[in-house]
Amino acid sequence: MEALDLVQKLVILSVCLYLSWRMIRYVWSFLDVEKDPLIVLVTGAAGQIGYALLPMIARGAMLGQDQPVILHILDTEPNEETLKGVKMELMDGAFPLLKDVIATTDVIEACKGVEIAIMLGGFPRSKDDNKDLIFQNVGIYKAQASALEQHADSNCKVLVVASPANTNALILKEFAPSIPEENITSLTRLDHNRALNQISENINVPVSDIKNVIIWGNHSSNVYPDGNHATVNTVVGHKSAKELIADDHWLNTDFITNVQMRGQTITKARRLPCAFSAASAVCDHMRDWILGTPKGTWVSMGVYSDGSYGIQPGLIYSFPVTCEKGEWSIVQGLKIDEFAREKMDALERELIEEKTVAYSYLH
Amino acid sequence: MAKDPVRVLVTGAAGQIGYALVPMIARGIMLGPDQPVILHMLDIAPAAEALNGVKMELVDAAFPLLKGVVATTDPVEACTGVNVAVMVGGFPRKEGMERKDVMSKNVSIYKSQASALEKHAAANCKVLVVANPANTNALILKEFAPSIPEKNITCLTRLDHNRALGQISEKVNVQVSDVKNVIIWGNHSSTQYPDVTHATVTTSAGEKPVPALVNDDEWLKSGFISTVQQRGAAIIKARKFSSALSAASSACDHIRDWVCGTPEGTWVSMGVYSDGSYNVPAGLIYSFPVTCRNGEWSIVQGLSIDEFSRKKLDLTAEELTEEKALAYSCLS
Repeated sequence: MEALDLVQKLVILSVCLYLSWRMIRYVWSFLDVEKDPLIVLVTGAAGQIGYALLPMIARGAMLGQDQPVILHILDTEPNEETLKGVKMELMDGAFPLLKDVIATTDVIEACKGVEIAIMLGGFPRSKDDNKDLIFQNVGIYKAQASALEQHADSNCKVLVVASPANTNALILKEFAPSIPEENITSLTRLDHNRALNQISENINVPVSDIKNVIIWGNHSSNVYPDGNHATVNTVVGHKSAKELIADDHWLNTDFITNVQMRGQTITKARRLPCAFSAASAVCDHMRDWILGTPKGTWVSMGVYSDGSYGIQPGLIYSFPVTCEKGEWSIVQGLKIDEFAREKMDALERELIEEKTVAYSYLH
Repeated sequence: MAKDPVRVLVTGAAGQIGYALVPMIARGIMLGPDQPVILHMLDIAPAAEALNGVKMELVDAAFPLLKGVVATTDPVEACTGVNVAVMVGGFPRKEGMERKDVMSKNVSIYKSQASALEKHAAANCKVLVVANPANTNALILKEFAPSIPEKNITCLTRLDHNRALGQISEKVNVQVSDVKNVIIWGNHSSTQYPDVTHATVTTSAGEKPVPALVNDDEWLKSGFISTVQQRGAAIIKARKFSSALSAASSACDHIRDWVCGTPEGTWVSMGVYSDGSYNVPAGLIYSFPVTCRNGEWSIVQGLSIDEFSRKKLDLTAEELTEEKALAYSCLS
């Protein structure tokens, strides 16, 4: 009978579909393999920021909970014992994502195959003289540029933290011409996060509800935190932070100096420089660069300028950027008022001066 | 719907372990990436400014999970409403100090903190004591906070446990995540007994017992044990500072496994209130192999204890009994 025939066919079809689905799932489960580990270099790893940063990387805070890593930790010979101690502690952490640790004072061994390089190492500021700081660091960054260019992975992403970060990054770029210029960045995410927090405290809103501040220019004592385009996530949607703060004078004075002086304020209180907030900003910078910024959100990164916003090309200058598929792009078309224009230009001049000073030491 | 924030207290928060630990907590490493937290940080008056500096760094890091920070030198404010308490603060041993002096200082600290916790912490607050002598500090805490359930007071031996895993993984040349079920028995001191009798390595051909894979009983009974026991000293020698990073990390592991549960087939080591299991005297805080489920630990029962291990278990129990007597003598 036709009806019975149809039912029979339907039953057989259902059973076949079910079995096929089970088989596909079974085969698929074999494809659930772990990702290949990413090789991450941290220079100056025996120092304080390194000590805070390395467990964050080992726990997946930089690259995600499913991304295994191999750490290359580099420091100078006087710090070799300390570096060994750090390696011992990393082993003792029994971190599931940490597949290996290479602790070395040999820059070539350190740079081999690295896909991500975090440059914490540099000569610390000893006098209140920026020229001196540049002088001490140009040699270091020229040498490291060379090692990275020859031994790192061709698409290695670089983040320079050691002061003077923007100029160190520029030296790195100039002496590693085969590293794509968009792959060399400097850290201004710490200032960016500090700016978010200043606004959060001013209007008493959780910091995770605030976004789109901008850090323009140089990570120096003249850094310009710009709150004009920042927004606050409220129950009625995104509101302008500037309107909610309702105090343009504060935005153009205390807000700026608070962010500029924050490092000093903390160092005075702790009697030690900031370490874990810098380390955390490093993780944020890298994570957003590689995994992408959330929709509608930008972050601040020191990047190779291309003339955007009238800033001279060929500097490492902090801009608002969005990130997608492992690439950053400068947010275009933001309105710049007179006050901001002046600040941004002053920082451009500062960076040009630093560049000139750096080059004078190289020739 | 976002979860309600959990209040986590860290005492001695201005110190090195505190500095390593608080960003880990704020990142969700201790309680999970979807668990908001409010940090309570306590230290003594001389460290108030440094503590404030740590608070500034915490807010500067713009951690999405961190819903509030209380930085205080007042134990009552610090303990109010806390659900998890990590006791890193204590009196460190200084050069020339006798054991009795260190014990005496710490006994009074832990007696008064017991009081503050008992009166002001949330019901069912989970406590982890890290500051040395960890086991005995935890015992004092328990004795002077009788309304805190005894099973809620633990001490840290997860650092030694993780160190033991690391040593085995290096010896056998496997990933540390493939080694499990070592045991740290007893006191977090030089009499601790790292025991791999029941440890296994996960291979492509299933789980293999560690003693067979290592194939060097001599090393397992001597070099391995002393390496784990003395690891802390080795790190101080290399770094010139004590092992803050790994201690903080293991404190996160201890709390996370306690609260979120241990994976199937895996146990961990925790210093817990002894109930007489394995013929260990009851009423000590002694490190045992435990599994955790639904926020509660239970001692793994029925593991065979050979003669060598028996002696070690008893030795560390003796030391703890002695420490308990010393602590009580400081109180009278």
